[in-house]
Amino acid sequence: MFVTDIRKEFYDVVVNQRVALFVSPDIDALCACKVLQSLFHCDQVQYTLVPVAGWQDLGTAFMEHKEQYQYFVLINCGANVDLLETLQPEEDSVFFICDTHRPVDVVNVYNDTQIKLLIKQDDDLGVPSYDDIFRDDEEDEEGDGNDSGNESDGSAEPSGKRRRYDEDALERRIERQRARREWEARRREILFDYEQYEFHGTSAALVMFELAWVMSKDTKDMLWWSVIGVTDQWVHDKIPHMKYVTDIATLQRHVSRHNHRNEDEENSLSIDCMRITFEYDLRLVLYQHWSLYESICNSSYTSCSFKLWSINGQKKLQEFLADMGLPLKQVRQKFNCMDMTIKENLREVIEESANKFSMKDIRVQTFAVNFGFKNRFLASDVVHAAAALLENVEKDETSADNFIKALDCLSRSNLERLHLGIDLAKKKLKAIQQTVASCICTNLILSQGPFLYCHLLEGTPDVKLFSKPLALTLLCKYLLKAFLCSTRNKRCKILPLIMAAPLDVEKGTVIVLGIPPESETSDKKNFFGRAFEKAAESTSSRTLHDHFDTSVIELKMEDRGKFLDALITLLS
Amino acid sequence: MDPAEVEFLAEKEMVKIIPNFSLDKIYLIGGDLGPFNPGLPVEVPVWLALNLKQRQKCRIVPPEWMDTDKLEDIREQERKLDTFTPIPSLYYMELTKLLLNHAADNIPKADEIRTLVKDIWDTRVAKLRLSADSFISQQEAHAQLDNLTLMEINTTRSFLLDSLNYMYKLRSNLQPGRSQDY
Repeated sequence: MFVTDIRKEFYDVVVNQRVALFVSPDIDALCACKVLQSLFHCDQVQYTLVPVAGWQDLGTAFMEHKEQYQYFVLINCGANVDLLETLQPEEDSVFFICDTHRPVDVVNVYNDTQIKLLIKQDDDLGVPSYDDIFRDDEEDEEGDGNDSGNESDGSAEPSGKRRRYDEDALERRIERQRARREWEARRREILFDYEQYEFHGTSAALVMFELAWVMSKDTKDMLWWSVIGVTDQWVHDKIPHMKYVTDIATLQRHVSRHNHRNEDEENSLSIDCMRITFEYDLRLVLYQHWSLYESICNSSYTSCSFKLWSINGQKKLQEFLADMGLPLKQVRQKFNCMDMTIKENLREVIEESANKFSMKDIRVQTFAVNFGFKNRFLASDVVHAAAALLENVEKDETSADNFIKALDCLSRSNLERLHLGIDLAKKKLKAIQQTVASCICTNLILSQGPFLYCHLLEGTPDVKLFSKPLALTLLCKYLLKAFLCSTRNKRCKILPLIMAAPLDVEKGTVIVLGIPPESETSDKKNFFGRAFEKAAESTSSRTLHDHFDTSVIELKMEDRGKFLDALITLLS
Repeated sequence: MDPAEVEFLAEKEMVKIIPNFSLDKIYLIGGDLGPFNPGLPVEVPVWLALNLKQRQKCRIVPPEWMDTDKLEDIREQERKLDTFTPIPSLYYMELTKLLLNHAADNIPKADEIRTLVKDIWDTRVAKLRLSADSFISQQEAHAQLDNLTLMEINTTRSFLLDSLNYMYKLRSNLQPGRSQDY
């Protein structure tokens, strides 16, 4: 059931108990976890943090902890599947789910005792009403029983009356059965419509921050984490642009409240205190920690507008830089070492020139944080750094270690880790850019009818990076945008994209991911979750639907062909 | 002594806080604390103040001496005189460091205060070094220094004592006749 008063029904219940926290590996979940952890530290609540990478991990972790804990908090996992059936918990276990995955499973919504959903109800949830899906089956059975009872009892009565009575009873029964079949057909239809598309709701970090705000325990650190959570949803394309703008407006109100609270003319704050500012900043990834040139080359927006994989594109980039009057030597330098005169009006200059090259949205609303003299980060910088740390494939470390490192880099005291994350993110972005360029130039994207398909071969450089879902998602989106810019086929422009990359060479598995078609007003609703399930069933391919995002699956290499054929037939 | 030990002793100093929770009087071995009422100032030791601040349960009121004008006066006086001026708190260095690290948002003009206290510290330690130097070079028998704090004494303690011990050993070796009398 949905929790209406998050403070009374969630926080006051767990504050005196021991809690197990299950957190899924994405940046929004990490931020929500940080906010909740700092609230727990203030009130000295005992908790256990368990990172869970998928449904199997969740099951194992639950088995390990179910004896000792009664209260479980799940962050960004668990809402879109019937949790009680998957986990089979005891009667007294209570689950608090703060998840952005939609649609929320109907059993989770209508269970009153064990499942509490920490989800804002003004998200357009569209949950079907109770009577449409659940119905007392006992009435029907009783009715039938009466009829048969009447039939057997009525044997003593005169035959004429009994025949009439029988006919009535029979008619009633047929009527009831027909009504029931209609109801069931309608129920199937309603559920199918409801569960067909997968999308994302309000950020979990924002929900946790609002909990802290309601208790007046919100700090700037927590506000910054919720900013990062919302920015993560935008960077990884989980929410439509309108929702991002609305969430940013909400956050902007909190930011101004915090800024006015502490500063006034005479007693200005120490420079070491954290300051969050609202910025209308450039859409160039990591540009303040890189050189401007590299950033333009590796951001998907600019790279696709210029078509930087072609020679024409490179020429256009040089024209763009010349148009702004920026010397190449300056632009290729580290941003911090650029001339102050250039840096002063950089954003306006770039915006003007970008408009001439038909890049209307080069600026985007976001937040930046300042603390100390040296440290200035944009929210998207931190998202990329944390994502790179979370999916670090360089050293052989377990995913739990990477999770802890990524969680650490979000605190202010671990700046070296954040800088390490930024370096890893730079490598990842360069790898993405090169893979996209090679895919477009060698025409690796094939149109299979109802969708586009691209398969990354094993020998591709940096292919290990793309065995992780977040990196593969970024690559997919970038590739789709680039493909749209480079193709002339009008029909291909509205197709979704499915991408396969090698996951584990010894076991012979690939990771398959599907994203919806790219458009300006897309609502980011993804139907591949259900499509993958049905295709796997119909061809009995060996698949593993382990990720919390149902549009990401693992598949055996040999079954790839028949799986794709099944998908084509399903979707056409 | 470790500087950490000196800081530990400094945490017993009392400081005023404004709590946002309510609690009855608590009876600890070191003394009684409280009662705590939201919005009303109460004096607590620094260790408790910092713990409550980190749990967002209070707001710390800076001590009266932690003010830019007063500290500027002290600094000027320190620079003028050759001896040590009396300072408002025996643990000024530790308290400044602790409060500015954990509660900088409650202290106005925190950066200037940090600079001023550092200046005062530098002047005093320089004077201490000078006087230790002249003590050893002029081979005085005793010296008296007023208004020193424990942290400053601690910086010079091990060096001064060890060097005086060595000096004694060297002096007794220089006069072989006298030492043989023992």
